[in-house]
Amino acid sequence: MENRDPVVHLDRNFWIVTAVFAVLSAISVWYFGTFDIVKLLPESAAPAGDIDALTRFLLMSSGPLFVFVIGYLLYFTIAYRIRKSDPPDAIGTQVHDSHSLELWWTVIPTIFVVIMAIFSVKIWYNIEVAQPTNGIAVESIGHQWYYTFRYPNVHGEIPNEMHLEVGVPVTLHVTSSDVIHSFWVPTMRIKADMVPGLINTLHFTPLNPGTYKIICTEFCGTLHGDMEKQTVVIEDHAHFTAWYNGWVAKTKNVSDAIATTSAGAVPLAGGSASAGQATFATKCSACHKIAPFDQKVVGPGLKGILDDPKHPNLVDGQKATPENVAAILQHGYKGDMGAMPDMTANGLSNKDIANLVEFLKNQK
Amino acid sequence: MATATVHAGGIADHVHPEPQGFVRKYIFSIDHKIIGVQYLITGFVFLVLAGLLAEVIRVQLMHANGGFVSADTYNEVYSIHGSAMVWLVIIPLATGAFGNFVFPLQIGARDVAFPWLNMVSFWLFPPAGLLLFGSFLLGAPAAGWTEYPPMSLQGAPGTSMWCAAIFLVGVSSTMTGLNFLVTLIKMRAPGMTFTRMPLFCWAQFATAPMSMIATTALAAALAALFMERQFGVPFFDPTKGGSPVLWQHMFWFYSHPAVYIMILPVFGIISEVFPTFARKPIFGYKMIAFSSVSIALLSFMVWAHHMFTSGLAPFLQLPFMILTMLIAIPTGIKIFSWVATLWEGKIHYTTAMLFAIGFIATFTFGGITGVFLSAVPFDLHAHGTYFIVAHLHYVLVGGSLMGLISGVYYWYPKMTGRLMNDKLGHWTFWLFFIGFNGTFLPMHMLGLLGMPRRVAVYDPQFQTWNQVESIFSFVMTFALLLFFANMLWSLRNGKKAGSNPWGARTLEWQLPSPPHYYNFKHIPTVFSTPYDFAEPLPYAGLEEELTDSPGPAPAVAH
Repeated sequence: MENRDPVVHLDRNFWIVTAVFAVLSAISVWYFGTFDIVKLLPESAAPAGDIDALTRFLLMSSGPLFVFVIGYLLYFTIAYRIRKSDPPDAIGTQVHDSHSLELWWTVIPTIFVVIMAIFSVKIWYNIEVAQPTNGIAVESIGHQWYYTFRYPNVHGEIPNEMHLEVGVPVTLHVTSSDVIHSFWVPTMRIKADMVPGLINTLHFTPLNPGTYKIICTEFCGTLHGDMEKQTVVIEDHAHFTAWYNGWVAKTKNVSDAIATTSAGAVPLAGGSASAGQATFATKCSACHKIAPFDQKVVGPGLKGILDDPKHPNLVDGQKATPENVAAILQHGYKGDMGAMPDMTANGLSNKDIANLVEFLKNQK
Repeated sequence: MATATVHAGGIADHVHPEPQGFVRKYIFSIDHKIIGVQYLITGFVFLVLAGLLAEVIRVQLMHANGGFVSADTYNEVYSIHGSAMVWLVIIPLATGAFGNFVFPLQIGARDVAFPWLNMVSFWLFPPAGLLLFGSFLLGAPAAGWTEYPPMSLQGAPGTSMWCAAIFLVGVSSTMTGLNFLVTLIKMRAPGMTFTRMPLFCWAQFATAPMSMIATTALAAALAALFMERQFGVPFFDPTKGGSPVLWQHMFWFYSHPAVYIMILPVFGIISEVFPTFARKPIFGYKMIAFSSVSIALLSFMVWAHHMFTSGLAPFLQLPFMILTMLIAIPTGIKIFSWVATLWEGKIHYTTAMLFAIGFIATFTFGGITGVFLSAVPFDLHAHGTYFIVAHLHYVLVGGSLMGLISGVYYWYPKMTGRLMNDKLGHWTFWLFFIGFNGTFLPMHMLGLLGMPRRVAVYDPQFQTWNQVESIFSFVMTFALLLFFANMLWSLRNGKKAGSNPWGARTLEWQLPSPPHYYNFKHIPTVFSTPYDFAEPLPYAGLEEELTDSPGPAPAVAH
C-alpha cells in the first residue's frame, strides 16, 4: 500500500509551527517545573512533598503532549481547510501511514510511561512499604457523620480533634462503625477509605504545626458534605504531651468498649440555656433550625417545641415534656420523620442534654 | 445480472417481505435501522431527563449551603443523573443507536444476525428507564451511580428498582453484544475482509465482546445486592460476614470495561468523520483498528485502579497502576493518527467535523488527567474529589457525548433523508464547547484543593468557582436545546440530503436515504478499504441501488 502513496513533504510552515510548539512546550515545562503547589495548598506532613513532586512531574510531561496535540490539531484544521479557490471535489494528499512516524509515537509515549511508572513506584514504595517502625500508632473511626480517635493508653474514643506531634511518624489505622467513609487530609495529600469490617492503614510524618481539615470523600449519607468540620492539630512536643496526658488522665476509669447510651433517664436539674445554645450551634444546627416545626432541614424546626399549640405532640406521638425531649436526645429517633443519632453518636454528655433542654424551653 | 451471481444463496439473500402495519413497522420492528432510530430517540429522551437533573445539581451548588433542594433529594438527583447518563444515554446511543443503524449497512448486510433478539434487546431498554426514573416515587437510590454498600443496603426502596433497571439494561446490552459480534463475523459482504472493514465496524467489533463478558459480572453484582436488600442474603454487609469491597470489585470489573464500551464506538465515529471531511484516507488504519482491540483487552485488567484507597493489598496496586498507564499508549496512537489524518487534507467545516475536532481536544485533556489518576500516589490525593468528577466528564461528555453528537450530524441525513441546519450546528458547537469547558475545567482545581464529590453543601471558599461552573453549565444546556431543536426542525424543513451529501465512501452512503427495508437490492462485493479518495469506489454490484429497479423478491411468507 505504501508504494502508491505520494512522497510526504513537510513544508517550511510545518517546521515554523513546530518550533513555536517546542518553545511553548519548553515554557510549559519551566512553568510546571517551578510551580509552587504549596502556595495553593500547604503541606502538613510527609509524604505530601513526594506526591507534589510526582504531580509536578506529571504536569511537566503532559504540558508538551498537550501543546503538540492541540497545536497540530488547530494548525492542521486551519491550514488545511478547503478554500474557495479549491474545486469542491478537491481531495487531500492520499497518504495512508508512515511506519517510522508510527514507531516514534509508540516508542516515545512508552518511554514516558516507563519513566512515570518508575517514579510512581518509588513514591508508592515510600508511602506503602517503607513504613516507620518507631513513632505512634493512632486509630480513627468513621461514624455518620464525624470522626473519633483512639490513642494508646487513652480509654474510649476521643472526639473532635486529632492531635499529633511534629516529627513523630504516625501509623494511622482507620475503620468505620457504620458505612464507608474516607479519611482525607488534603494538606497531607493522602487518604484511606474507612471500610466497616476492614482496617486500612496510612503512614505519614507530621511536619508543620497547625490545624488542618479532615474531609470525608466517600459518600456516607445525608450529611456527607458536612463531614469536614474536624481537624488534625499538629503541635510541638510540649503541647502534644500535655494534650495526650490530659486524655490519659481523663479516661483512666473509662471502659475501652465503644461507649453505649446510658440506660437511666438524664437528670435535667441545673441545665444552662446559654451552654445549651453553644451546644446547639455545634451539634444540632446542621439538621435543625430554630424555626416552626414544619421548616425541616434534615429534622424538624424546633422553635417552641415544648410550647407549640400547633404541634402538641412530639414526633413519637408523646406529649412534649422536658423529659420526652431529653429521651429523644438520649436515645435518638428513627421513624417517619427520618433518623436522629443517639447521645453517643452525637457525642453528648448528660450535662449537654440538660443544657439543651433548658435552651429549647426558652425558644418560645 | 452479473453481480447477483457472485453471491447467490446464503443467508444474506433470504429476504422477508417488509411489514406493512404501523406497529410492526415502527414499534415492534425487527429492522436494525428502525431499532437504531428507536434507540436514538429513547436515548435522547433520557438525556433530556438526566440533563435536567444535572441542572438541579448545578443550581444547588450555586451556594455553599445548598438550599435549592434538601441534602437527601440532592443525593437522589446526582445518583439518578449518573446512572441514567451511563446506562440509559451513552451506552445505548453508542452501541444500540449507532451500532444498529450504521454497521450492518457498512459491512453490506441486510440486517443483524438475530433481528428478533435485537427487537427484544431494544424493548428491555425503555422499561428499564421507566424503572430507574420511577424510583423517585419510592425514594430513589442515593449512593451515587456506584451504589457502594453498606450505604446502598440502607437506601430507600427505590434502590432495589435501580438494581432491576440496571439489570434489564445489562441483559439488553449483553444480547446486543452477542448479536453484533455474530453479525460482524458471519455477515460481511463478499470481499469485506476484516482489514477492509470501516473503522466504525472495528470499534463495534472490539466493543461487542466487552458488552457480552463484562456486563454479566455486573448482573451478578446487581442480583447479589438485590437479594441482600430484599431477602437479607449477606453478601456485602460486614456485620453479617459480608464484604463491602467485594461489591467494588464486581462493580468495577464491569464498569471499567464499560468506560470503553462508552468510548470505543465513539472512536469509531471519529474515524469515519475525519477521513470523510478531510478527504483523506484515515492515517494508520491498522494501528487504529488494533489499538481498539488492545484497549478492549487491557480494559479487563485495570478495574482495581478505582479502588486504590479502598484497602487493596499494597502490592496489588502496582500491576493495576502499570496496566492502566499502558492504556495511554494505544489511546495515544489513536489520537496521533487522527491528528495526522488532518495533515494536508481538504477539511470541510461541517458541524459533524467541528464536534469531532472538539472531541479530540477535550478527550486528549481527559486522557491526560486519566494518566495522572493511574499513578497511585496522585490518586491517594485526588480520589473521591471533584478532580474525578472533572476527569470523568471530560472523557464521557467532552469525549463520548460530543462524539455522539458528531455522529448524529453525520448520519442524520442517512436516517431521515434530510440535512440538519449547519449554521445552527456551528452555534451549537461553539456554545457547547465553551459551556462544557467552563463547567468542568475549574473542577480539577477545586478537587485538588479539597472539594470532595457528592456533597450537597461545601466549603464556602469554593463558592465563586462553583457559581462560574453553574453559569457555564446553563450555556451548555442551552446548546443541547439548540441541538434538539435542530433535530426536530430539520425533520421537516432540512435540506434534502440525497444519497451521499458528504461525499463519503463507506457503503451506507451508496444507498438511498433512508435505505430500503432490505438495505441492498443486491449484496455488493468489496475490493479494498473504503478511504482512498483518489481511487474509484471499491465496490461492485451497487449499480441499481439508486435506480427504480425492483428490490430482491421476498421469500414466500410462512
